[in-house]
Amino acid sequence: MSPGSRGRRSSLTLVASSADAARVGADERNTNHARDWSALMARAQDGDRRAYRALLEDMTPYLRALAARCFKEPSDAEDAVQDVLLTVHAVRHTYDPGRPFGPWLVAIANRRIIDRLRRHIRARSREMELSSEHETFSPDAANFHLEDASADSAALHAAIAALAPDQRLAINLLKLKEMSLKEAALASGRSVSALKVATHRAIKSLRKRLRQSSETP
Amino acid sequence: MTPTRELIDTLVECATPVRRLRPPLVRAMLWLAFAGLVIALIAMGHGLRPDLTLSLQQPAFAITTAAALATGILAAMAAFVMSLPDRSRWWLMLPLPALAVWISTIGYGCLTDWVSLGPEGVRFGEELRCLSILVLTSVPLVIALAVMLRYAAMLRAGAVAATGGLAIAAITASALPLFHDHDATAMILTWNLGTTLLITGITSVFGRRIFGPLATRLLAPGTHL
Repeated sequence: MSPGSRGRRSSLTLVASSADAARVGADERNTNHARDWSALMARAQDGDRRAYRALLEDMTPYLRALAARCFKEPSDAEDAVQDVLLTVHAVRHTYDPGRPFGPWLVAIANRRIIDRLRRHIRARSREMELSSEHETFSPDAANFHLEDASADSAALHAAIAALAPDQRLAINLLKLKEMSLKEAALASGRSVSALKVATHRAIKSLRKRLRQSSETP
Repeated sequence: MTPTRELIDTLVECATPVRRLRPPLVRAMLWLAFAGLVIALIAMGHGLRPDLTLSLQQPAFAITTAAALATGILAAMAAFVMSLPDRSRWWLMLPLPALAVWISTIGYGCLTDWVSLGPEGVRFGEELRCLSILVLTSVPLVIALAVMLRYAAMLRAGAVAATGGLAIAAITASALPLFHDHDATAMILTWNLGTTLLITGITSVFGRRIFGPLATRLLAPGTHL
């Protein structure tokens, strides 16, 4: 859903001290999809989930634009956006509605993007990308069957979507985003032991669901 | 559905109401009040040094203690303000003038004491007494500050840990002369400068590791000091 499709407009409160924030603010004015992010966050802090969803969905394209300037691969930029969203969620109590939202958001975004850039550079220095030569082997069993994989992937995604929120978050961070326990705990605000328990339960539940779905034709 | 959309769905489902933080300066004052309470309790249990009134009349002693206290207060304010993502890094500079005064007076006092008393000024018994006061004062302050600033682990762990460490060291150093005999010159230098450098150094280098695990254990939504 694009920010404009909801058809709601309100006064712009995105005022950033940095160039990034100014750019975000300018973009928002230009596209005429302004939303009072500060007010939305204030309502989200009070537990208004609709306001929170609207805020996160509105923020995401701008975070994507910020991240895209630092990462070539869209998947890396998307990972950075997700890091920012997780941090915003974990520290949302630090936002003061009396202050502009832009600098708060951009400071978090910059920090997370820089962290991911560092990780990215470290990983690139010791990892090598696989080329097609590495992927193709003569035995048929060793080859990757796209049709089967997409069917399995759809079933797995459906099973993950049906998990309880805590378990889904744990699977998302630890298995899909491949974070370490410490990173996931820091990002989600959950303790390491809580994440372990949630993952264990989630895998048990996924195994059960997938077995059921494979047994039923 | 993209993973980001799924993440947003999950975050929205987990979005419980949160209590907004009080203004940073108010929280700094709360922590300083706690520090005052700890020092008062130690004073009740340990007793003040007998010549405190007399010592406070000496300008060098009064300036050192006041500068250490000012450094502690300003560093605590800087740590709480800087723990918020949208505040300027220039707050890091706030305690520096008081720190400069404090360090310059420590050096002068120690030099004169050293000259007048000689190396026998350091006594083993005094060291243990000093250490017990140091631990009694600084440990509760470290725990309280780490709990109050746990969210900073995700934002500015190094800078917040450095200013927080300076605040703890300075408050401890300003409390130490209230109980401890001023004669142990080398010890004053060690504790005052040494604790500052040690705590600031350790927390700035290992800040992420110190705050990180605490943050994960203590970052429960809706319970913020």
